[in-house]
Amino acid sequence: MDKFEQRKGGTDTLSDSTFQSKDPDFDSWLSQQLQFNEPYLDDDGFCERVMEQLPAPSRRAERRATCIQYAAVVAASAIVAWQFPFGEVLSEAARQSISLYSLIGLGILSSLAAMTGGILAARR
Amino acid sequence: MDLSDEDLIRRVVDEGDQRAYAQLVRRYQSQLRFSLRQLCGGDQALADDMAQEAFIKAYKALPAFRGDARFSTWLYRIAYNLVMSHKRKNAPEVDQEAVDRARSQESVEESHQLGMARDLNSAMSALSEAQRQAVHLCMQRGFSHEEAASIMKLPLGTVKSHVNRARAKLQTMLQAWREDLVNG
Repeated sequence: MDKFEQRKGGTDTLSDSTFQSKDPDFDSWLSQQLQFNEPYLDDDGFCERVMEQLPAPSRRAERRATCIQYAAVVAASAIVAWQFPFGEVLSEAARQSISLYSLIGLGILSSLAAMTGGILAARR
Repeated sequence: MDLSDEDLIRRVVDEGDQRAYAQLVRRYQSQLRFSLRQLCGGDQALADDMAQEAFIKAYKALPAFRGDARFSTWLYRIAYNLVMSHKRKNAPEVDQEAVDRARSQESVEESHQLGMARDLNSAMSALSEAQRQAVHLCMQRGFSHEEAASIMKLPLGTVKSHVNRARAKLQTMLQAWREDLVNG
Protein backbone atom coordinates (compact mmCIF):
# COMPACT_ATOMS: atom_id res chain seq x y z
CA MET A 1 0.00 0.00 0.00
CA ASP A 2 1.24 3.48 -0.80
CA LYS A 3 2.50 5.62 2.00
CA PHE A 4 -0.06 8.19 0.95
CA GLU A 5 -2.92 5.80 1.65
CA GLN A 6 -1.54 5.00 5.08
CA ARG A 7 -1.70 8.68 5.91
CA LYS A 8 -4.81 9.64 4.02
CA GLY A 9 -7.20 8.98 6.91
CA GLY A 10 -5.59 11.67 9.03
CA THR A 11 -6.22 14.63 6.72
CA ASP A 12 -9.81 15.24 7.71
CA THR A 13 -8.93 15.87 11.31
CA LEU A 14 -6.48 18.69 10.73
CA SER A 15 -6.87 21.46 13.23
CA ASP A 16 -6.53 25.15 12.46
CA SER A 17 -3.26 25.25 14.32
CA THR A 18 -1.83 22.91 11.71
CA PHE A 19 -2.51 25.50 8.99
CA GLN A 20 -0.32 27.99 10.79
CA SER A 21 2.70 25.71 10.97
CA LYS A 22 5.46 26.88 8.68
CA ASP A 23 8.12 24.53 7.48
CA PRO A 24 10.37 26.14 4.91
CA ASP A 25 12.17 22.82 4.38
CA PHE A 26 8.89 21.17 3.49
CA ASP A 27 8.01 24.04 1.17
CA SER A 28 11.23 23.79 -0.79
CA TRP A 29 11.06 19.98 -0.80
CA LEU A 30 7.48 20.09 -2.10
CA SER A 31 8.35 22.67 -4.76
CA GLN A 32 11.24 20.52 -5.91
CA GLN A 33 9.09 17.41 -6.07
CA LEU A 34 6.31 19.18 -7.97
CA GLN A 35 8.73 20.66 -10.48
CA PHE A 36 10.74 17.45 -10.82
CA ASN A 37 7.64 15.41 -11.59
CA GLU A 38 6.32 17.82 -14.20
CA PRO A 39 6.89 16.52 -17.73
CA TYR A 40 8.03 18.87 -20.50
CA LEU A 41 5.30 18.97 -23.13
CA ASP A 42 6.74 18.83 -26.62
CA ASP A 43 5.71 21.64 -28.90
CA ASP A 44 4.29 19.11 -31.37
CA GLY A 45 3.11 21.78 -33.83
CA PHE A 46 1.48 23.90 -31.13
CA CYS A 47 3.61 26.97 -31.83
CA GLU A 48 2.95 26.73 -35.60
CA ARG A 49 -0.80 26.54 -35.00
CA VAL A 50 -0.66 29.66 -32.83
CA MET A 51 1.48 31.56 -35.32
CA GLU A 52 -0.83 30.67 -38.20
CA GLN A 53 -3.75 32.28 -36.43
CA LEU A 54 -2.07 35.50 -35.42
CA PRO A 55 -3.31 38.61 -37.22
CA ALA A 56 -0.81 40.21 -39.60
CA PRO A 57 1.43 42.78 -37.90
CA SER A 58 0.27 46.37 -38.34
CA ARG A 59 1.57 48.21 -41.41
CA ARG A 60 2.84 50.99 -39.18
CA ALA A 61 5.05 48.58 -37.26
CA GLU A 62 6.27 47.06 -40.54
CA ARG A 63 7.05 50.48 -42.01
CA ARG A 64 8.93 51.46 -38.87
CA ALA A 65 10.97 48.24 -39.01
CA THR A 66 11.78 48.87 -42.70
CA CYS A 67 12.82 52.46 -41.98
CA ILE A 68 15.12 51.27 -39.18
CA GLN A 69 16.70 48.70 -41.51
CA TYR A 70 17.28 51.26 -44.28
CA ALA A 71 18.70 53.75 -41.80
CA ALA A 72 21.12 51.10 -40.51
CA VAL A 73 22.27 50.26 -44.06
CA VAL A 74 22.71 53.95 -44.99
CA ALA A 75 24.67 54.59 -41.77
CA ALA A 76 26.92 51.58 -42.43
CA SER A 77 27.51 52.73 -46.03
CA ALA A 78 28.32 56.26 -44.86
CA ILE A 79 30.93 54.95 -42.42
CA VAL A 80 32.51 52.81 -45.14
CA ALA A 81 32.51 55.73 -47.59
CA TRP A 82 34.03 58.00 -44.95
CA GLN A 83 36.89 55.56 -44.29
CA PHE A 84 37.42 54.49 -47.90
CA PRO A 85 40.57 55.96 -49.56
CA PHE A 86 38.86 57.21 -52.72
CA GLY A 87 41.77 59.52 -53.63
CA GLU A 88 44.34 56.77 -53.56
CA VAL A 89 42.13 54.41 -55.53
CA LEU A 90 41.44 57.04 -58.19
CA SER A 91 45.08 57.98 -58.58
CA GLU A 92 46.07 54.32 -58.74
CA ALA A 93 43.34 53.73 -61.34
CA ALA A 94 44.65 56.66 -63.37
CA ARG A 95 48.19 55.31 -63.15
CA GLN A 96 46.97 51.87 -64.29
CA SER A 97 44.98 53.48 -67.17
CA ILE A 98 41.65 52.03 -65.93
CA SER A 99 38.61 53.82 -67.28
CA LEU A 100 37.06 56.08 -64.64
CA TYR A 101 33.55 55.24 -65.87
CA SER A 102 34.00 51.49 -65.54
CA LEU A 103 35.49 52.02 -62.08
CA ILE A 104 32.52 54.13 -60.94
CA GLY A 105 30.07 51.67 -62.50
CA LEU A 106 31.72 48.77 -60.71
CA GLY A 107 31.65 50.69 -57.43
CA ILE A 108 27.95 51.53 -57.76
CA LEU A 109 27.05 47.94 -58.66
CA SER A 110 29.03 46.54 -55.71
CA SER A 111 27.41 49.03 -53.34
CA LEU A 112 23.93 48.16 -54.59
CA ALA A 113 24.63 44.45 -54.24
CA ALA A 114 25.96 44.92 -50.70
CA MET A 115 22.99 47.09 -49.68
CA THR A 116 20.45 44.67 -51.14
CA GLY A 117 22.15 41.76 -49.39
CA GLY A 118 22.17 43.68 -46.12
CA ILE A 119 18.47 44.55 -46.36
CA LEU A 120 17.50 41.00 -47.30
CA ALA A 121 19.53 39.61 -44.41
CA ALA A 122 17.97 42.10 -41.99
CA ARG A 123 14.44 41.24 -43.15
CA ARG A 124 15.09 37.54 -42.70
CA MET B 1 21.40 34.32 -27.14
CA ASP B 2 18.09 34.19 -25.26
CA LEU B 3 16.38 37.56 -25.15
CA SER B 4 14.38 38.53 -22.08
CA ASP B 5 10.58 38.59 -22.21
CA GLU B 6 10.68 42.41 -22.14
CA ASP B 7 13.01 42.59 -25.17
CA LEU B 8 10.89 40.12 -27.13
CA ILE B 9 7.72 42.04 -26.29
CA ARG B 10 9.35 45.29 -27.40
CA ARG B 11 10.25 43.68 -30.73
CA VAL B 12 6.71 42.42 -31.23
CA VAL B 13 5.07 45.74 -30.39
CA ASP B 14 7.55 48.16 -31.99
CA GLU B 15 8.63 46.17 -35.02
CA GLY B 16 5.71 43.80 -35.57
CA ASP B 17 8.23 40.96 -35.28
CA GLN B 18 6.18 37.78 -35.09
CA ARG B 19 9.27 35.61 -34.75
CA ALA B 20 9.89 37.28 -31.41
CA TYR B 21 6.40 36.26 -30.35
CA ALA B 22 7.06 32.71 -31.53
CA GLN B 23 9.96 32.64 -29.06
CA LEU B 24 7.63 33.64 -26.26
CA VAL B 25 5.16 30.92 -27.28
CA ARG B 26 7.91 28.30 -27.29
CA ARG B 27 9.16 29.54 -23.93
CA TYR B 28 5.83 29.21 -22.15
CA GLN B 29 3.83 26.62 -24.10
CA SER B 30 4.78 23.60 -22.01
CA GLN B 31 4.15 25.21 -18.64
CA LEU B 32 0.90 26.84 -19.68
CA ARG B 33 -0.48 23.73 -21.38
CA PHE B 34 0.45 21.60 -18.37
CA SER B 35 -1.23 24.06 -15.99
CA LEU B 36 -4.37 24.24 -18.11
CA ARG B 37 -4.57 20.45 -18.36
CA GLN B 38 -4.90 20.41 -14.60
CA LEU B 39 -7.42 23.22 -14.66
CA CYS B 40 -9.46 21.45 -17.35
CA GLY B 41 -9.62 18.25 -15.33
CA GLY B 42 -7.34 16.32 -17.66
CA ASP B 43 -9.06 17.24 -20.94
CA GLN B 44 -5.87 17.72 -22.96
CA ALA B 45 -7.56 18.82 -26.20
CA LEU B 46 -9.56 21.49 -24.40
CA ALA B 47 -6.48 22.63 -22.47
CA ASP B 48 -4.48 22.98 -25.69
CA ASP B 49 -7.31 24.90 -27.37
CA MET B 50 -7.50 27.23 -24.41
CA ALA B 51 -3.72 27.70 -24.36
CA GLN B 52 -3.77 28.48 -28.09
CA GLU B 53 -6.56 31.00 -27.63
CA ALA B 54 -4.72 32.56 -24.70
CA PHE B 55 -1.56 33.07 -26.76
CA ILE B 56 -3.56 34.64 -29.61
CA LYS B 57 -5.49 36.89 -27.24
CA ALA B 58 -2.25 37.90 -25.50
CA TYR B 59 -0.70 38.77 -28.88
CA LYS B 60 -3.61 41.02 -29.80
CA ALA B 61 -3.52 42.71 -26.40
CA LEU B 62 0.26 43.01 -26.26
CA PRO B 63 0.36 46.74 -27.21
CA ALA B 64 -1.73 47.38 -24.08
CA PHE B 65 0.63 45.34 -21.86
CA ARG B 66 2.24 47.91 -19.60
CA GLY B 67 4.72 45.62 -17.91
CA ASP B 68 3.32 46.17 -14.41
CA ALA B 69 3.29 42.40 -13.97
CA ARG B 70 5.52 39.74 -15.45
CA PHE B 71 4.49 38.52 -18.90
CA SER B 72 3.93 35.02 -17.50
CA THR B 73 1.54 36.33 -14.82
CA TRP B 74 -0.36 38.32 -17.42
CA LEU B 75 -0.52 35.34 -19.79
CA TYR B 76 -1.74 33.04 -17.03
CA ARG B 77 -4.40 35.58 -16.07
CA ILE B 78 -5.69 35.61 -19.65
CA ALA B 79 -5.62 31.81 -19.85
CA TYR B 80 -7.36 31.30 -16.52
CA ASN B 81 -10.05 33.80 -17.50
CA LEU B 82 -10.63 31.92 -20.74
CA VAL B 83 -10.91 28.56 -18.99
CA MET B 84 -13.21 29.89 -16.28
CA SER B 85 -15.40 31.58 -18.85
CA HIS B 86 -15.48 28.38 -20.92
CA LYS B 87 -16.38 26.36 -17.84
CA ARG B 88 -19.23 28.74 -17.02
CA LYS B 89 -20.63 28.51 -20.56
CA ASN B 90 -20.09 24.80 -21.11
CA ALA B 91 -20.46 23.33 -17.67
CA PRO B 92 -22.74 20.44 -18.68
CA GLU B 93 -20.81 19.65 -21.83
CA VAL B 94 -17.54 18.37 -20.47
CA ASP B 95 -16.07 15.88 -22.92
CA GLN B 96 -16.07 12.97 -20.52
CA GLU B 97 -14.64 10.62 -23.12
CA ALA B 98 -11.62 12.86 -23.59
CA VAL B 99 -11.19 13.12 -19.83
CA ASP B 100 -11.37 9.35 -19.39
CA ARG B 101 -8.98 8.81 -22.28
CA ALA B 102 -6.50 11.25 -20.77
CA ARG B 103 -6.87 9.69 -17.33
CA SER B 104 -6.34 6.18 -18.62
CA GLN B 105 -3.29 7.45 -20.47
CA GLU B 106 -2.11 9.09 -17.28
CA SER B 107 -2.58 5.91 -15.31
CA VAL B 108 -0.43 4.03 -17.81
CA GLU B 109 2.24 6.69 -17.49
CA GLU B 110 1.87 6.76 -13.74
CA SER B 111 2.50 3.05 -13.48
CA HIS B 112 6.02 3.81 -14.69
CA GLN B 113 6.60 6.55 -12.19
CA LEU B 114 8.22 6.10 -8.86
CA GLY B 115 6.05 5.69 -5.78
CA MET B 116 6.86 9.21 -4.65
CA ALA B 117 5.47 10.75 -7.81
CA ARG B 118 2.38 8.59 -7.64
CA ASP B 119 1.74 9.51 -4.02
CA LEU B 120 2.34 13.17 -4.75
CA ASN B 121 -0.23 13.05 -7.56
CA SER B 122 -2.71 11.28 -5.29
CA ALA B 123 -2.12 13.80 -2.53
CA MET B 124 -2.62 16.69 -4.96
CA SER B 125 -5.84 15.20 -6.25
CA ALA B 126 -7.11 14.94 -2.67
CA LEU B 127 -7.00 18.75 -2.43
CA SER B 128 -9.89 20.96 -3.41
CA GLU B 129 -9.72 22.53 -6.89
CA ALA B 130 -8.84 25.96 -5.49
CA GLN B 131 -6.20 24.57 -3.14
CA ARG B 132 -4.64 22.56 -5.94
CA GLN B 133 -4.49 25.60 -8.20
CA ALA B 134 -3.06 27.79 -5.45
CA VAL B 135 -0.34 25.24 -4.67
CA HIS B 136 0.34 24.72 -8.36
CA LEU B 137 0.78 28.44 -9.04
CA CYS B 138 2.74 29.29 -5.88
CA MET B 139 4.84 26.19 -5.25
CA GLN B 140 5.22 24.71 -8.72
CA ARG B 141 5.25 27.80 -10.91
CA GLY B 142 6.88 30.09 -8.37
CA PHE B 143 4.30 32.87 -8.55
CA SER B 144 4.00 35.01 -5.43
CA HIS B 145 0.77 34.91 -3.44
CA GLU B 146 -0.13 38.29 -4.91
CA GLU B 147 0.43 37.07 -8.47
CA ALA B 148 -1.57 33.91 -7.83
CA ALA B 149 -4.39 35.99 -6.37
CA SER B 150 -4.39 38.17 -9.45
CA ILE B 151 -4.41 35.13 -11.76
CA MET B 152 -7.15 33.30 -9.85
CA LYS B 153 -9.09 36.53 -9.28
CA LEU B 154 -9.35 35.79 -5.58
CA PRO B 155 -8.57 37.97 -2.57
CA LEU B 156 -4.98 37.65 -1.36
CA GLY B 157 -6.07 36.30 2.01
CA THR B 158 -8.10 33.55 0.37
CA VAL B 159 -5.14 32.41 -1.71
CA LYS B 160 -2.87 32.39 1.34
CA SER B 161 -5.45 30.37 3.20
CA HIS B 162 -5.73 27.88 0.31
CA VAL B 163 -1.96 27.49 0.20
CA ASN B 164 -1.68 27.05 3.96
CA ARG B 165 -4.44 24.49 4.15
CA ALA B 166 -3.12 22.60 1.17
CA ARG B 167 0.39 22.67 2.57
CA ALA B 168 -0.83 21.26 5.89
CA LYS B 169 -2.72 18.46 4.14
CA LEU B 170 0.20 17.60 1.88
CA GLN B 171 2.60 17.71 4.79
CA THR B 172 0.54 15.11 6.60
CA MET B 173 -0.06 12.94 3.57
CA LEU B 174 3.56 12.96 2.44
CA GLN B 175 5.17 12.79 5.88
CA ALA B 176 6.33 9.21 5.39
CA TRP B 177 8.34 10.18 2.30
CA ARG B 178 9.98 13.04 4.11
CA GLU B 179 10.85 10.84 7.06
CA ASP B 180 12.43 8.35 4.66
CA LEU B 181 14.45 11.15 3.15
CA VAL B 182 15.57 12.52 6.51
CA ASN B 183 16.43 9.06 7.88
CA GLY B 184 18.23 8.14 4.68
